[in-house]
Amino acid sequence: MTAESHLRSQRTAPVQPGAGSEPGTLRLPAFWIVIMLLAAGGVRMSLLVAQYAAAYPLALLTAVVLFALLAVPFWFVVSELDFLEREPPGLLVVAFAWGGLVATSVSIPGSGALDDIIAKLGSPHLAADWGAALAGPTVEEIAKTLGVVAIVLIARNQVNSVLDGVVYGAMVGLGFQIIEDIVYAMGAVALAGRGDHVGPVVTTFLLRGFLSGVWSHTLFGALAGAGVGYLVVRGERSLRTRIGAATLALVGAWASHVLWNSPLLRDGLGNGAVALLAVLILKGLPPLLLIWLLVRAAHDREADYYAAQLTELDDPELITPAEVEALKAGSRRASARSYARVRAGWRARAAVRRLQRAQARLAVELSRNTADLSRWHHEVRRQRRILVELGHPEAVAPDGKGPWRRTASAVFSTALAVAVLWAVVSSLGGG
Amino acid sequence: MVATLGGLAFGLPALNQALPAERSVDTGRPYAIGGGVDVIPPAGARIDVTETRPAQDTGTVLFRLGAVRYLIAVRRFDGSLQAAVTGLRQRITGTSGYQVTGTELSVEAAGGLVGLQGAYSGPGRGGRYAVFVADGHTIEVTVSGADLDLGRVLPQIDASTRTLRYTPEPPE
Repeated sequence: MTAESHLRSQRTAPVQPGAGSEPGTLRLPAFWIVIMLLAAGGVRMSLLVAQYAAAYPLALLTAVVLFALLAVPFWFVVSELDFLEREPPGLLVVAFAWGGLVATSVSIPGSGALDDIIAKLGSPHLAADWGAALAGPTVEEIAKTLGVVAIVLIARNQVNSVLDGVVYGAMVGLGFQIIEDIVYAMGAVALAGRGDHVGPVVTTFLLRGFLSGVWSHTLFGALAGAGVGYLVVRGERSLRTRIGAATLALVGAWASHVLWNSPLLRDGLGNGAVALLAVLILKGLPPLLLIWLLVRAAHDREADYYAAQLTELDDPELITPAEVEALKAGSRRASARSYARVRAGWRARAAVRRLQRAQARLAVELSRNTADLSRWHHEVRRQRRILVELGHPEAVAPDGKGPWRRTASAVFSTALAVAVLWAVVSSLGGG
Repeated sequence: MVATLGGLAFGLPALNQALPAERSVDTGRPYAIGGGVDVIPPAGARIDVTETRPAQDTGTVLFRLGAVRYLIAVRRFDGSLQAAVTGLRQRITGTSGYQVTGTELSVEAAGGLVGLQGAYSGPGRGGRYAVFVADGHTIEVTVSGADLDLGRVLPQIDASTRTLRYTPEPPE
């Protein structure tokens, strides 16, 4: 750990470790309220889905499969954001379900009503131009942010850092995004008036899944969730400051959503694929960069904190100084795994991954002042023995080894994605 | 938390219900629906702003004549008139209890728009529809209401439908 990062970790004290489990959760009224809200949302969305299933069974099945597949990489990326202190799967499921069942159930009538109110108090022209930009974000961002609040109410000990808020917020957003996309796809099928055809589903999947997917609800939810995380964790700051920060994050999520839905630049860059891509980037990239920087800062601060816990062990069999540095960054963790595979094969790669997970878990237990750490010590030492037997005792990659291949892979994947995007946009009438 | 959710899910719709949706409209001048399409509203019609959304390339307008709904929707469409009609008929019959009745007839509107019109019925309601296709757009007209109300205002609505006009955008 560097002196600078150590100072930052101490100065900001961003992590408040909580207990590993919540034994009293079932006795919390908030827990049962959340369960009831999820059940009510589930009934509401089931009724909607049942209507689609009766009229367009094939299209519905296609939409569910396509968007469920789309959810997989998003889920993986979001759940991996907090590698060091992983969120319990049960709470991630609750967050996802809140977004998909509660926030959507509330947003469908709420957004529609607000859109109508804009038309009534303003004009149909105003509603046509700005209704989607104002009504949707206003209702949806509040409904989604309440999902992170719900997580705090039922499992306060599991929200220990700003990054935790980011993860839960992103997961709420992901649930919302997937269900909303399915509803939109089915709406497109109904509007097409061609019966149970999958064409409109595929078009919606390409447009909303690929073109809009990166900078959609998952991103907005992450920003709002960061605010809730800050509100909960930064107890040393005044309540006014914390509420101000949480409000600012919510407003930021709302503003990003408004910008994305707004008619700005709709006609300003002309027609064609280039213009469409330019608009997508101009509207989507600033919030994406802002939130990426925020997530990175939150991640680095949390990593500093847990790295400090591991450094104090001063036991190279548990973790070496170089492994501490590797554990702090996702790229260096991946480089270490990659290097292990090149040097000692796939078994070594898997062992490095297990070692990293065990070290991360040990750091969390250290931060919780867990009395008996023997279980986690044992697991780390077990993975270390495997690595020693494989002739690769330390889970690190030498400087300059490994990242180039992943960088090349990332560049290739990005180029491929841009090419696919280009083809899709062109096939949709651009260019 | 629950109060906020309730406010969003029930409070906003209640507030929306409390506000009047209808506005008067000048029935002597063409009303721009969107997508370069306009229509002269029928005498006595009022606009329902909750289902009226004029836009540059698309648009909808809902006129109300008492209890009768007169909805015109302009959408981007890449297909034939027959395909457009089939799509609208499927959407009508996709609603439980609704069926298309009678035969389709040709209808001509101002400016040379040629379309097809027909009738449908549902539980306690009757309806008429007409579809036009012009320059990558479909113009769908649906009229619905109780049979007695419908019979009273259909002549004005038919006259209004025949004033539908599409004006293509001048090339840039």
